[in-house]
Order: sequence, then C-alpha cells, then structure tokens
Amino acid sequence: MTTENKHESSAHHLREYGAQTPGTKGIPGTRRYSMVIDLRKCIGCMSCVVACKAEYGVPLGVWRTWVMVADKGRYPDSRRIFMPRLCNHCDYPICVRNCPTQATFKHEEGFVLQRYNRCIGCRTCVVACPYNARHFLPAKRTNNNLPKLVVDKCTFCIHRVKKGLVPACVQACVGGARIFGDVNDPKSEVAKLTAKEKVTVLKPELGTSPSVYYIGGDWEIMDETHNYKHRSAQQKEEFNTFKRNHHGDAFADIVEGENTMHHVGKNMSDFLASIPHKFHDVVAALKKLLFA
Amino acid sequence: METLITYNAVHHNPWGTPITIYFWLVGASAGSFVLSAFGWVFGIKRYKPLALSASVLAIGMLMIVPVLLIWDLGKPFRFIYLMLPGYWHGTAPMAWGSLLILSYPVSMFVYTYFVIKNDQKWAKIIGIIAIVLALSTHWYTGVVMELNPGRYINHTPLAPLLFLTGAFISGIGLMILVLWIKNFFMSEEKKIKWALMEEMAQYMMYGIVFDCFLLFLDFMQTQYGTASENIGHHEVLMNIFFTPYIMLETVIGLLLPLVILCSPLKRTRLGVYGASLLVAGGVYGMRIWWVMGGQYMQSFY
Repeated sequence: MTTENKHESSAHHLREYGAQTPGTKGIPGTRRYSMVIDLRKCIGCMSCVVACKAEYGVPLGVWRTWVMVADKGRYPDSRRIFMPRLCNHCDYPICVRNCPTQATFKHEEGFVLQRYNRCIGCRTCVVACPYNARHFLPAKRTNNNLPKLVVDKCTFCIHRVKKGLVPACVQACVGGARIFGDVNDPKSEVAKLTAKEKVTVLKPELGTSPSVYYIGGDWEIMDETHNYKHRSAQQKEEFNTFKRNHHGDAFADIVEGENTMHHVGKNMSDFLASIPHKFHDVVAALKKLLFA
Repeated sequence: METLITYNAVHHNPWGTPITIYFWLVGASAGSFVLSAFGWVFGIKRYKPLALSASVLAIGMLMIVPVLLIWDLGKPFRFIYLMLPGYWHGTAPMAWGSLLILSYPVSMFVYTYFVIKNDQKWAKIIGIIAIVLALSTHWYTGVVMELNPGRYINHTPLAPLLFLTGAFISGIGLMILVLWIKNFFMSEEKKIKWALMEEMAQYMMYGIVFDCFLLFLDFMQTQYGTASENIGHHEVLMNIFFTPYIMLETVIGLLLPLVILCSPLKRTRLGVYGASLLVAGGVYGMRIWWVMGGQYMQSFY
C-alpha cells in the first residue's frame, strides 16, 4: 500500500454510508480487487473494448469500457496517447449513495455492482458518476432476454473473477497493459505495481478513492476540464452527429452550434416517443394473459 | 505541449427536457402555494380571497409532475420501489424527494379542504405543514443535482436558494396571470382587487432583485473558482446554453421584468401582466441550463 492510499483511507472514513460495505482498501484480512493500467504498454488496439462488448453483448452506442485517444504535441514532435476507461469501482462510490432503490451496491471485495431487478431506470447514478462509467440500456436488444431500460455498468467481470479468471478486458489485452488483482494481497502484481510505480487515479479530488490505477498517466488526457477545452473538431463533429441522429430516449442531447431550444423540444418529442417502449413488455404480458 | 483529444466514447446527458419541466412545475406550484398561505397561515387577511385559486393552481401543476417523472423512468411500474421498505435508500436525495412529492400534494389537498370549509384553526395547522413540505419539495430539486460533486456547474450550495427564489417569483407571476383570467368570469364584488395584484407584483420585484443577487454570487464563484467552474461558465453556459441562460432567464425572466416593475409601467395592467408573463416563462430558462448545462461538460469525458 502506498502512502497516498493510506492517506485516502483515513481521510474518507466519514464517507462510509449508504448501501455499501466500508472501504476495504489497505485493510488486512480483506480483499480489494483493483486494476492497474500501464499506459506505457497500451497500443490503442481496442481489443479490451471488443472483448467486453462480446462478453456482455453491450449494445451499440454504449460502453462498459472504452479507450480515449489524444494527439500530443505538434508535428514532427508529436505522438498519440491512449487511456482505457472503465468503472473505477470506487471505495466511496457516489453512484451507490445516490441510488434511491439500493439497486447499485458495493460488494465487500470492492466490486460496485448493479441489480437489474431493483433498478427503476431513473438514471440518478448516471448523473452521479463522475467517470461516465454508467449507461442506460436501450429498449431494443438483439437478445430479448437481456435487460432493457435499466442502467448497466462494468462489473470487473465478477463472474469470471469468482472462477479464478481475470476480467475479459485483461484477458484480451495484447500489450499486457491491464493488470488485475487483489491490491490488499502484498504478493499480487497490482499490489507490487502500486507500491513500486508512480500511479495516478482519475479525479482524486472528489474523494471517491478509485480502484483503477494508471501508470504513466498524462494529466492532460486525465483531466475533464482540459479534455473539454481541447476537444478536437473531429470529436465535436462525431459527438454532434451522434446526438443529432439519436432518437428514442429522453436524454439531454444538445447539438453544439445549433439552436439549443430546438433540441430542448426534440428531447421532449424523444421522451414522448419512448413511452410506448416502456410499457411494451407489460402490454405484451397482459395480452398473453388475456388472449392466451 | 498541446494535447488534442481525438477520440472518446460519446456519452449522453441522462436527464433531459421532462426533468426541466418537472423542476419548473414544482417551483411554480410551491410559489403559488406560498401565496395561498399568506391569508390562512400568516394571517394577512387581504390575501384570503385568492387562497383557494392559489392552492388549486398549486395542486393542478403538481398533478402533472408524477406523470412526467414516472414516464421518464426506464421502468415506470417500478416507481413504487422508491417508497417500499427494503428498497428505500436513506442516503439518496431522490429517495427524500419521492417522500416529499408524495406528502406535499396530500397536505395541500387537506389544506384546501379546510379552506373550503372555512376552518381557520385546521387550515393554519395543515397550512404550516404544507408550506414546509412545499418549500422542502422544491429545495430537494436543487439538492438532487447539487449533491453530485462531479457536476461542477451544479455543485454549489446556492442551488436550493436559486431554485426557491425562482419558484417564488414564477409562482407569483403565474398566479397574477391566473387571477387576471379568473377575473373575466367573476362578478364585480368577487373580482380580485387591482391593489392586491400590484402588491403581489411588488413582492415579485423583491424576489427578482434577490434572484439577480444570487446569479451574481454564482457568477463570482465561477470567475474566481476552479478551472472547471470557469470553463463551465464561459464555454458551456455563455456559449452552448446562451439562449436559456442569458436570453431566456437573465434578460427575459429577470432584467426586463425588473425594468418594468421599477418604472411607472408597474402601475399599469399591461406592465404587471407583461412582467408576470416574462418572469413565469423566463424562470424555465434557469431550469434548462441548470439541468442540461450542468451535465454537458462531462459528456465529453
């Protein structure tokens, strides 16, 4: 355990409230699964993204994990940098304390998980999460048996970890940039790396105590404000195209450079159009019951 | 060395227009209810004639809220989980709000019943409870977004005050307009007196001045605050949300009505009704930039 981690644990003891187990980072006799991402080894191949999509059938337009790309410097002195992103499985998760139905909770071994049967789809946790790690599942899924219209997120592949395997993204990482393990176990690779290397976390000032550590992190790609200020024209256009063409959910999709009030109106029409989908399953069940 | 972000996953802002309308409706409802309570709770007798209209308006607006909120859920039939023991989560602001939204209309119905029955004692007792619930319900709309430290624009303790002040002025504005329309259908002796409308407009003006002060405080915070607050103000609110933030709220909702109500126009019906309409509509601008603007910057992260 690094000095930085010890400081985090003691400073945030007051944040142990809500439907979550207390923070276990650095506490002997407990497990705290964490991930270290060595950015020096990441080549931006997106295998982790594809592996995750395949593991869970993650729909188009939403991600459990993704890789940010940035261009640093000016030609000819320039290089491309990457930063894989996923749920930080915080020790003090804001999403857990803000969920009104205890649908999301923190497992005693550190996983922040989602219970679909409790989720009402209010998206409070999506608003609360400072890392954009949560998404709302669409009404139409390729496999109709998968959850719909509830919030979903990365689970650190708990189903694999419990069988002694590593998460799908770690398994698929060609450069060995993602390392997973119990940070409380001094013999584990993650514990050794966090002790030996200079690690950084995303938004440490929020006091969430994230469990995803980056080695070789560049503050410019890690900082939200810098990200916003230095978004490229290409990214803006991708963002606008996506928002302009998105239909069916009551999201606040404002397109930059276009009439804001027009998009406020479009959100409302999207909301009205989404209502029948929300009642679809219930209507289908009623029909089956009445006309079987 | 300059770093340019070339690719990132596209994220949605999860709360959209239905939430902005809900915030506006709850605010206007709370504002109207405060007027209703002037006569029966605070003992200002000249306000008693408008108490019933004000509480009916407050109830009417609040009746739309559950429809909006429940339909905005991904699983509308599960809204009951918000109140069930075993599901209810005491640390979540939305869990507090669900109880408030449930109890506020009930208290208003009971209060209105005693107003109709002309029972001063019980109308006052229930009115006190209802006014606390009305203010709490709208206070909650401020904190439900404030208590997200990752949303820099929303994360300010001024939030509930901004919401409550907006509620007060939009409620009065809407009430004046409703009374104006109601007067067309009333006999001469039952019409609400013009002097009372003028007095309400005066209260509205005080509210506008206080709202301007709060906006100024918020502005100062962003100018001298962190880089996130500063960029959130300059590049999100002043740029992408310029129409709702500057045009709709600041100019149409606050400055124009303030000019009208500080000028001789405040003695004219056109001035008072015009200012009321501008305020009631302009406050909706605040709900837009607060909800959508607060979420915007992070969607690029």
